[in-house]
Formats: sequence, structure tokens, C-alpha cells
Amino acid sequence: MQCYSEQTCALAVDGELAADEAQRLRDHLTTCQRCRALVDALRAENRVLSESLNELPEEAASPAGFSPRRWSWGWGDLAILAAVLALGSIIFGWFNELDIPAALEWFNPFSVSGRTNLIFHFFYYFGHGGTAMLADYAAVVGWICLLLLLGGSALLLGRRGRPHYPGLRLLIVLLALSLPSFALERRHGDFVTVAANETVDDTLLAAANMVRVDGVVNGDLLTFGRTVEVRGTVKGDLISFAQRTEVSGTVEGHIYTVSHTLDLEGQLGHSLYGLLQSLQIDDRGRVGDGIVVAVGDVSLEGEVKRSVDILTSGRADVSGSIGRDLTMVGSSLLLTNTARVGGNLSARVRQLKEVHIADGATIGGTRDIQVTVRESHFTRPRFYFHQAVWLAGAILMGWLGMLLFPGFFQATTQLVGSGWHSLGLGVGILVGVPVAIVVIAITLVGFPLSLMLLALYLAAIYLAKIWVGAFLGRILLKPSGATKGDWLLGLLIGLLLLTIVGFIPYLGGLLRLGVVCLGLGAFACQLYRASRPVM
Amino acid sequence: MSVTSFDLQRTAFMDAKRNMAKERQPREGGTRQMEEMDLESVIECARGHDGEALGELYRRYVRRVFGLCRYMLESRESAEDATSEVFLKLQRSIESYDRSIPFPRWLLRVAGNQCIDALRRRQRGRRAIVEVEDGAAVIEAPSSEPSPLGAVISKEERAKVRDTIARLPDNYRVPLVLRYYSELSYDEIAQQLDLERNYVAALIFRAKQELRRRLPHRST
Repeated sequence: MQCYSEQTCALAVDGELAADEAQRLRDHLTTCQRCRALVDALRAENRVLSESLNELPEEAASPAGFSPRRWSWGWGDLAILAAVLALGSIIFGWFNELDIPAALEWFNPFSVSGRTNLIFHFFYYFGHGGTAMLADYAAVVGWICLLLLLGGSALLLGRRGRPHYPGLRLLIVLLALSLPSFALERRHGDFVTVAANETVDDTLLAAANMVRVDGVVNGDLLTFGRTVEVRGTVKGDLISFAQRTEVSGTVEGHIYTVSHTLDLEGQLGHSLYGLLQSLQIDDRGRVGDGIVVAVGDVSLEGEVKRSVDILTSGRADVSGSIGRDLTMVGSSLLLTNTARVGGNLSARVRQLKEVHIADGATIGGTRDIQVTVRESHFTRPRFYFHQAVWLAGAILMGWLGMLLFPGFFQATTQLVGSGWHSLGLGVGILVGVPVAIVVIAITLVGFPLSLMLLALYLAAIYLAKIWVGAFLGRILLKPSGATKGDWLLGLLIGLLLLTIVGFIPYLGGLLRLGVVCLGLGAFACQLYRASRPVM
Repeated sequence: MSVTSFDLQRTAFMDAKRNMAKERQPREGGTRQMEEMDLESVIECARGHDGEALGELYRRYVRRVFGLCRYMLESRESAEDATSEVFLKLQRSIESYDRSIPFPRWLLRVAGNQCIDALRRRQRGRRAIVEVEDGAAVIEAPSSEPSPLGAVISKEERAKVRDTIARLPDNYRVPLVLRYYSELSYDEIAQQLDLERNYVAALIFRAKQELRRRLPHRST
């Protein structure tokens, strides 16, 4: 008699063969050694399958999540983070607990001055439509960061949601270790000075309440502090993160700064890039190249060799000389009799009467002064085009997110519904993460980490609206199922609504801020939940 | 309205869950009683929407249900969601349980359906779980196919088998898990997946072959 096929034997072992056929097979088995061996092997295989499957992986032991196991990768990464930080502080022995607060007191939300500063900034920022600016900024930068993040994560998570965490960790550690390979001199304390007769040959990293350079720094000067004064010479770039930066000496390279105020009374060899509350270029101040700043108020009395681009929320007063073009977007512009613009003047202001150009002011090129009235947004087709592009971008992003991380996106959307909880968390994150970024960046070893965090932060601010929008849409639509189509339609409607509401004067800004916080909170909550280990 | 009722159910479920957490340190006699009660009576109480009984069912079967969801779905997150859904639905559907099959098996069937729905939703309604090429039902194993998995005994090896199953494509993994974890019959699986029984048989057969292929260094 002919032997049975493996498939038939498999059916028999699974008990799925019709009774008469099963009987025939049993009869055959008594005589056929080969088939008997096959059936035994198949039976053993079934046992292996059952046993393996029924012995649940440990993580399944407690699905509702009281198991300590679910922390494992979170703790693992915390450990890596701690190790990196510890390593950093060993390598940079200069770094000790007492000095950070002193240097960063003005930025520390838990101190009196820090808090005052923060509140002041917050209101100032808010009063000047900063939320919209932040959101717009996040829309551009966030998009890029997001694409990178999504691309990276898609690569990492490519295989059925099984990220190679060890690889990721290795990458983080390698990145962290590879960074401090350049020559660096570090100083810290309450008061860091480079004396007049002193020369620092390397790049100087200074963190202090007060940093003063009277001597010469041959490399770059990288500072964190309440007050940074350069009276001597910095041959490289000045990178300052301070409440007040004052340059009365010479900086031969560029200045990159995030400061409350910057006073330039001395020489700057190249360009100035900054995010400032107030910028003052004294009549002795010389800028060898151009200026690109986003600033509250600016006063330009000195000389700038090339172009000046100013994005200001307050006044721009120019009485000095600008070699090439002056481009400004802001609320008021004043060119005095002594002002000189070599190239074109182009200004975008809210009201024409806020532009004062004295008769004595010289302008070499054309004058292009336009009034950008906020209300006029709505009458311009370009505005709608921009909104449509923005909306399409957001929808595309939502769709991409849904495609790559469907569970994550839906869960985050749902978490938006936890209201105050998300909102509170979001406010904390909106304020806390920048502080964390600075604190991590200051260790330098953590610099790549802080960059990643920054990218994630901006991306999250951008995404916040998407989640909140999707949530709104879901509430409004009350869709039957949670399919991707429903989700996207909800997103479209929610975003439209958010966009429209966002244009309500004053209240709109507050709402936008609320939306960002809600979304951030939900995202953080979900991120925390999702970081528990997968099988 | 739909949102509200859903929330209410969720709340009830959360209550059951919370009760469960509380009952970890039993203080009252009532809880003890429930733990010692036989399944029949617990189900009976649960039918009367007794929160404590539902909590007890949750406590007894959550692991098993979650295990199934975890095998069927791609992430812990979705498995947790599906598990919650199953127990939420249980509050309503327990009335439809007719005792013709054992309760655990019935519950696993419900859970299986939940997971299949979730998978289908993810696949946007495509019947991607079950894409069988023509003739798959009558495929015969070529003689060069690897032989069945031998007695895999060690814990590590079992974990490896599990891991490999988890990495199988949906159309292999789902029937395999339904058969050997939920212990459903081919007919039941066919019904759940909306397929011919022959196809299910073919899928399971091929799934095993694929598994053997992917587990090359097994003990024989």
C-alpha cells in the first residue's frame, strides 16, 4: 500500500482527519515503519509548539502592568544615560553640582530670579505672538526633524516592531564618547576670568555666574553664564548662552548667541547670529560681516559691513551704517539722520506710521516698505495657500505616522482626552525640556543627546496639533470604527477647526499654546507607555 | 453618546481592575469566597453584572487572553488594548455564552476574533491575514523539506521557537497560534478567519514548514 503524505499525517495528528480515513491511516501505521516515524515526529512537533506557546514569555505574566519587568528597557536606557553622564563628569572633573546652579541661576525656574525671568519672558513672549512664531518655527524645523526621526525609527523598527535597542544604545554611547575629542580648556566657578596678560590656547569652555575675558583666547569661547564680558580678544567664535553678553573687545570669528541682551561695543570679525531680547550695537561697534537676528528690540549705532536681517517684535533703531541691505520684519523702524544703508531697504511693518526715515538718512538701493496688517492675512490668497500647504503637510505627516506607528498614533490621540492630565504634563514638558536640553548640553558629553532631545522636542511641538486635531475630529465625527481613513478625516476636520480657532485674536494664541501643551503631554505619556519592552 | 457609554464601560472595567489590585491583599471574606468559587458560579454571578465576579474572571484568564493577543498582534501596546477590549466586551457578551464549550475556550475564541479584527483594521480591510495562493490547499511537501521539529526541551529553545513564531508572517502565525495556543479546531479557525477549512489546513502545514526552515539549529 502506498504511504501517506506528510500533510495527511499532520491532519491526523491534529485530529482533523475524517474518521474512516483516520482508521485507514492507523491500519497503515501498524505495517509501515516510515509513516509511523513521521507521525511520531509530527506529534512531537505539535507538543513542542504547544509547550512553547503555552509557556508565556515573562512579560506576558502581568499584562495590566504591575510587573517590574516592564521597566527593563526604560531602566536600561536610564542606566546608559546615567553612565554617559557619570563618564562625562569624570572626564570633565571640573563639573560639579555647586556650579551649575550658580552659572545658570537666571535660567533655573526653581530659583527666584530664574522664575521672575521666566515669567517675564513668558508674558513678553506671549504678548508678542510668540506662540504662533514658535509654532511656525516648529512647523518648519519640526518637519525636518520629524522626517529624520521617522526615517530613522522606521529603519530601527523596520522588523515587526523589534527595535535593536542594543544597537541604539551603542550608537548613543559612541556618539557621546566621540565628541570630546577636540582640545578644550574648561573653567568653572562663580567668576571665571581670563586675565589681561593671559592667553588661552585652546577653545575655552566657561560656565560661571560671571565670565570675563580680558586676555586672549586663541580658540573659540563657549560660555554659559549670567554675564559674559569679552574685553580682550577671542580669535575664534564666541558662542554664548547668557543673560547678558557684552563684547567690548574683539571677536575675530562669529558670534552665536542666545542671550537676553547683547551689547557690542567692540569689533566682530564676521557675522552675528542670535536669538535675543535686546541687541545694542554701540557707535564703537564694528561688524565685519552681517547680522541675522531674531530680537525684541534692536539699536544699531555702529557699523555693519554687509547685510542686516532683523526679525523683531519691537523696535529697530538704526543710526549707524550698514554696508549692504537692511531687511527687517517687525513693528517699528527708525532710521535717523546718520543712518546709512548701502543696499536696499526692505521693511515689513504693521503700520506705515511706525516707519520713520529721517531726511538725512542715506539709502543706496531701493526702498521697499510694506505694511503687513494682520487682518489682511485673510484677504490674501497666499495666506490660504500657505494654510493649505500647512494642512496638507500636517495630514501627510499624520498619514505617515499612522502608516508607520498606527498603534502609537491612535493611542496618543486617545490620551489627549485625558485633558488636564495631558495639559499639565505638557506645560511641564514645554518648559522643562529646554532646561533639560541646556543642562545636558552643558556637560558636552551629553551634547549629541541634547541635540536628539531638541529634535524630538521640536518634532513633538509640531505633532502636538496633529494629535489634538485628530482627537477633536474623533469627538466631532464620532466615527464608527477606528480605521485609518476615519482617523485621517477626523484629523482634517480637527486641524481645520484648530486653524480657524487659532486666528481668534488673543484667545487664539492661548488656545494654540493649550493645544501644544495637550499634544506634548499626550505624546510624553504615550512615549512613556510605549517604552515598555516589547516581546 | 457612543463615547459616553464607552467611557462608562471602561470605568466599570477599571473598577474591576482596581478591585483586583485591592484584592491582592484580601481583607474581606467576600473576596476570598469569590476566589474559591468554581467557575460555573463565577460565570453565573458575572452574568448578573457582578463587578466582583467579572474581576475574578479577569484575574483568572487575563494572562491567557493577553498571551493570545501578544502572539497575534505586533506590539505589547496593541495586545494590551485588545485584552482590555476583550474584557470590556465580556461584560456584554457573557450573556451569550451558552456553555456548549468550556469557558476558557470560548473566551479565547472571543479574544481571537478581537485580534483578527485588530489585524484586519490594521490591514485596512484587506484580507491580508489569509492570502493563500491557488492550489495551496493541495500542496504536498517536497521530499527535500526539513523534517519535523524534534523534542525541543530546554527553556531557551522553547523561547526561540516562540520568538520564531512571533516573527512569522500574519497568515502563518495567526492560524498556528489559534491552533496550538487557543487549541481551536480547524473548523473553528476557518470560521474565525472566514476561510475554507482546506486553506486553514494548508496554512498550518506551511507555517510549520516555514518554522522548521527558520529554526535550522534545532536538536533533532
